[in-house]
Amino acid sequence: MGRTNMISLIEIADRMRNGPKMSSRDWDMALFRKMTELVKEYEIKCPKETTEWINTDDGLADAAWQAAVDFVTDTGCFCINRERVVKFAEDEVKGAIKSMQKKVLIGEGKDARVWKQHKIEGNEPLNIAPGHHAPFTEDLANLVVQNFAMIPRLDFLEGFNFPTIDGYEIYGPPIEAYASKRQVVWLREGIRRAGRPGAAIVYYPITTAASSFLATIDHVAGLRPTDGVLLSVLPDVKVEHDLLTVATVLQSYGYFGISGSFGIAGGFCGGAEGAIIEGLVKTIIAWIVYRDNLYYNGVEHLNHVSGVERVMFPIHFARSVVYQATLRNSYGIPMHWPIPVSELCTDSHLEELILRSVEAAVNGANLYVPRVSRSRMNGGQTPADAELMIDASDAAIRMQIRRSEVYEVFKPVITKLMKNTTPEPGKLITECYDLQRHRPSSEYQQLIAKVKSEFKDCGLQWE
Amino acid sequence: MRYDADAVRKAANEAVNAGVDPVEAMEKGLGLGIKEVGERFHRGECFLPHLVMAADVLDEGAKILQASLTKEASAKVKKGTVVIATVEGDLHDLGKNIVAMMLKANGFDVYDLGKDVRSDAIIAKAKEVNADIIAVSSLMSTTRPYQRELIEELKRLGLRDKFIVMVGGGPVNRGWAEEIEADGYGHNAAEAVREAMLLMEKKKAGVQRT
Repeated sequence: MGRTNMISLIEIADRMRNGPKMSSRDWDMALFRKMTELVKEYEIKCPKETTEWINTDDGLADAAWQAAVDFVTDTGCFCINRERVVKFAEDEVKGAIKSMQKKVLIGEGKDARVWKQHKIEGNEPLNIAPGHHAPFTEDLANLVVQNFAMIPRLDFLEGFNFPTIDGYEIYGPPIEAYASKRQVVWLREGIRRAGRPGAAIVYYPITTAASSFLATIDHVAGLRPTDGVLLSVLPDVKVEHDLLTVATVLQSYGYFGISGSFGIAGGFCGGAEGAIIEGLVKTIIAWIVYRDNLYYNGVEHLNHVSGVERVMFPIHFARSVVYQATLRNSYGIPMHWPIPVSELCTDSHLEELILRSVEAAVNGANLYVPRVSRSRMNGGQTPADAELMIDASDAAIRMQIRRSEVYEVFKPVITKLMKNTTPEPGKLITECYDLQRHRPSSEYQQLIAKVKSEFKDCGLQWE
Repeated sequence: MRYDADAVRKAANEAVNAGVDPVEAMEKGLGLGIKEVGERFHRGECFLPHLVMAADVLDEGAKILQASLTKEASAKVKKGTVVIATVEGDLHDLGKNIVAMMLKANGFDVYDLGKDVRSDAIIAKAKEVNADIIAVSSLMSTTRPYQRELIEELKRLGLRDKFIVMVGGGPVNRGWAEEIEADGYGHNAAEAVREAMLLMEKKKAGVQRT
């Protein structure tokens, strides 16, 4: 009889300390070999032609999912701290997948929201997390948080990293814990001032130390049971003690967990094909090991995520396979993380942001914090970017654009973005957004209007 | 592209037996091979595991050829010795891994200490292997200060002039590198390698650190 209950976190902790021993390096190469084998076995292929911009082959999505299940069953994951492999039986993996949550209730009172799966090519507005996960200095903290909290479609607001607190540099456990608490206090205060006292906030890790996460627990001023934490990143499908500690403590307090589970093309999973499987493996592991509920999975390229250059094809395709596979084969709730390589207040930043938001809607992936991929301090995002992301996804839904149509409809913009892949330098938030009056500068407003017009010419139905 | 250690060992032994200049064998044989892999990685045609495999195979061949090098010739072939690590408290290592592989691909001896490494351990290793360069990576703003700590510790020990220090990682930029008085910075792996080579040229030319 198949397992129907989840393997406990304590059992996972035990496997972390007793699993088969392996060096980190050997794990990395084993990951590559297994991914290569699965790509071949399941015929995971990305197209050669850009006309196949978004996946339309449901069979491919399903095969990718099965490849990921096979990886988790055959190989497991790796504990960095103990250098041991954590393995799972087939019924444990299948039981866990059946237990994934299709809907997550977050926040409280009138500000409570249901974060849920959406359909591929669906017609419902997406869930939105409009802001942060970008570095800001503490002098801007209050105003920045309040500005993002004022976005009406906000479902939750995530925190951010900052280099100093009360003028002290943040490093070392005591100050890291103090800064973590202050982050959630700012978030709580910011959403209150915006008239959203029950809205969910999400702690963004100052460090990955358990002490920093647990310092945020505070039913009054900090993290409540209806709030969340950005818990796992799972580099190369590796798990760690401190994050499991957080999950173990918070599971009885209450929280929702977010996982940065995208596959990284160019890393140890191999190319885009391996990254598809990696993105799905990480999603499954994030649930089993950390009980994460929301996954900004998909695929990114190493060079793109580190801000070296814009990499689009076949990454947009690969990403779409991951979202579709998640939605077709599980109750997992994927999110799309638009991370343009160009900085704020540039044409290509806005073009990439809008295109990715349209694709999120087509793929059924919710929207999660727009941000410059390699952000400067105070240069990662503005509320205007979040509002544009929302408008673009709504417009795509109104347009009822199909997966097969995305490339031809938006070809002029796609071609332009692929021709020049060098990140454009841009501005900081203080240079293009008026935080006092909650509006972009006139220069930024004009630029937004110009780029919206570009997309309107393609047929995007702005409101 | 094959990553065949047996074939490389065989070829290296044949080169030695045939009296081929080991320096030439290193630079025009092994060196070209790994340079090709590096370039393919840069173009997105190869991935990180290929760099690792290429570096491993290079090591097999290099061991054989280096055994027959004179001390002077060995110094000429080697670009430099690097100790590389992600700083204390930081478990991110993807970028550091790429830099380590690219440095190796470009002729450096690289000692990769991994991640979450304390400054004293980095310095101890650098002393042990007589490193030219210490390269430290940080991917979180909360671990970036450990790069400064490393430099301050080198000064405290009277070792600052002994090592070139390079820094890198997500929250790191040239302004930070200058602020903490690091010698070099790389925005990405390719830039890090170029900077390392430039700094080594200056060292060999006897140009003083500023």
